[in-house]
Amino acid sequence: MAGVLIFGELSDGALAPATLRLASAGAQIAQALGEPLIGALVGNEVGRAADEFRCGLTTLYCVQGAHYRPYTAEACMAAAQAVIEASAPSLVLFAHGAETRDWVPRLAARIDAGLVMDCAGLTVEEHALVATKPVNGGGVSAEYVIRGAHRMATVQASAFEPSAVEGTPERIALTVTPSADTRVTVLAEESAGATSGPRLKDAKIIVSGGRGIGGPDNWHFIEEASAALGAAVGCSRPVADSGWVPSSHQVGLSGTSVSPDLYIAVGISGAAQHLAGISAARKVVAINNSAEADIFSRADYGVVGDYREVLPAFVERVKQLRGSN
Amino acid sequence: MNIVVTVKQVIDPNLPPSYIDLDPAGKRIVSPFGVPPVMNGYDANALEAALKLKEQHGGKVTAVCLGDDTSRATLKRALAMGADAAVLLNDPAWLELDSAGTAHVIATAIRKFGTPDLVLCGRQASDTDGGQVLYWLAEELGLPAVGPVSKIESVEDDSLTLQRLIEDGYQRVRVALPALLGISSEINEPRMPSLKGTMAAGRVLISGWKAADLALEPIEPKVELRRLAIQVRTSSAELIEGEGGAARGAALAEKLHAEGLI
Repeated sequence: MAGVLIFGELSDGALAPATLRLASAGAQIAQALGEPLIGALVGNEVGRAADEFRCGLTTLYCVQGAHYRPYTAEACMAAAQAVIEASAPSLVLFAHGAETRDWVPRLAARIDAGLVMDCAGLTVEEHALVATKPVNGGGVSAEYVIRGAHRMATVQASAFEPSAVEGTPERIALTVTPSADTRVTVLAEESAGATSGPRLKDAKIIVSGGRGIGGPDNWHFIEEASAALGAAVGCSRPVADSGWVPSSHQVGLSGTSVSPDLYIAVGISGAAQHLAGISAARKVVAINNSAEADIFSRADYGVVGDYREVLPAFVERVKQLRGSN
Repeated sequence: MNIVVTVKQVIDPNLPPSYIDLDPAGKRIVSPFGVPPVMNGYDANALEAALKLKEQHGGKVTAVCLGDDTSRATLKRALAMGADAAVLLNDPAWLELDSAGTAHVIATAIRKFGTPDLVLCGRQASDTDGGQVLYWLAEELGLPAVGPVSKIESVEDDSLTLQRLIEDGYQRVRVALPALLGISSEINEPRMPSLKGTMAAGRVLISGWKAADLALEPIEPKVELRRLAIQVRTSSAELIEGEGGAARGAALAEKLHAEGLI
């Protein structure tokens, strides 16, 4: 058994940006183990993404088939299991996300693997594989040793820089027959985040609203600011739980971990699980009417005041400044 | 419908990091004196979903908890909310188990009283934020698993129609029964226990099950906790000054523009 196997992902037919970050995590640990880096892609049409998936890989396994969309755990598990059997890696890494946190633990149970999810760091210490991840809502970090015949981890891709390493991996195509398990049937798939603009996890700027916005009627402040800045719309967990906006916008440990250049938190108190999800943001701005809010402990810049005054004036001035360039 | 709900007792997730401490071994989070632990939030959502199904379709709801002796408080809360039975799995050897081991104990206990029509679990526990036990449990019980579930749309004779959260929205999914669901907080607002329920639950004697009761062998962990560390945040924000909110907003724009951030 040798090799660090990383599962890439597709985004609109191309290689997902998170995969390049996952590749950095994989390359570090492969180097520490003295083992090659192996890639895998699973999807209905992987050709374009496969051309983009270089990252210093020695081998790239491609599993293609019409049954990978819409998402089902069974199809992903069967494909991943086939790649793991073919490549016999000592460690398998996945980008932590809505799909992987559903099917990867189930795969771990099926092949009896040691798995830690949502890892912010992976190291090798005296031959032990050590994973670090946020627990207790992000207020505490935990170190786990991963053991077992199969070792797996899902990684917060946002905690790593994108890989810029080239390479010409040997490509191996695998065919996996669809699972005969029909106990779970997808009836429809709907994109709740029908808003245009960048996706949360790839966005350079995010404007995010919390309970301090006051109610769904005020949400237009966040949407207008996002649209003007070309930013993605985020929200805190209480906002998603209250149904003001779809959960797909939720930033934090149980939502999406993000890594924008600029994160603007409006009316967000700064619960530990929210702060854990923005730990990779380069600069954080907090706008809050309470100077005591925990968000200010993470923010680089803070504005204490009523967001209904601050935000529109901020956006207006940004437009002027951008226009004058 | 015969429903099992897994519940875990956790440290109050609303406690700020500055209020919590670690035990001397650095492996367990200790809450300050006088702050009681609570039922894991997603598990409360799962229990509420089970109680609603029971109210609409009849059946029985059993709450199962793996934890120490103090976890009886969480099971009593489950009874007070309306669960029909409570099972405590409290062998001290089980407290250090990883997800696979924890699921093995719970699966063995569930099999002992017959596989239910539905197993409802919170999508993850707020202390470990692991999100794994439910899937190991599903695999061991041979059940299909769907998570995170944000809505139970309808109940048919041998299946459920659900909404599950995905990356950019949601899927509508039909799952054949018996099944296991990972429940998310969007699904409902858990009820408060009634006074009558609380008093009745107070009188229930909850016995605990040990390894010998389940005829379990010691379990070799695949994932081992080495240490915990409390994240101390010391940085503080540079506050933007100005006369009134609008002036501060404009000043913020100047600042970010000067730094090349916008």
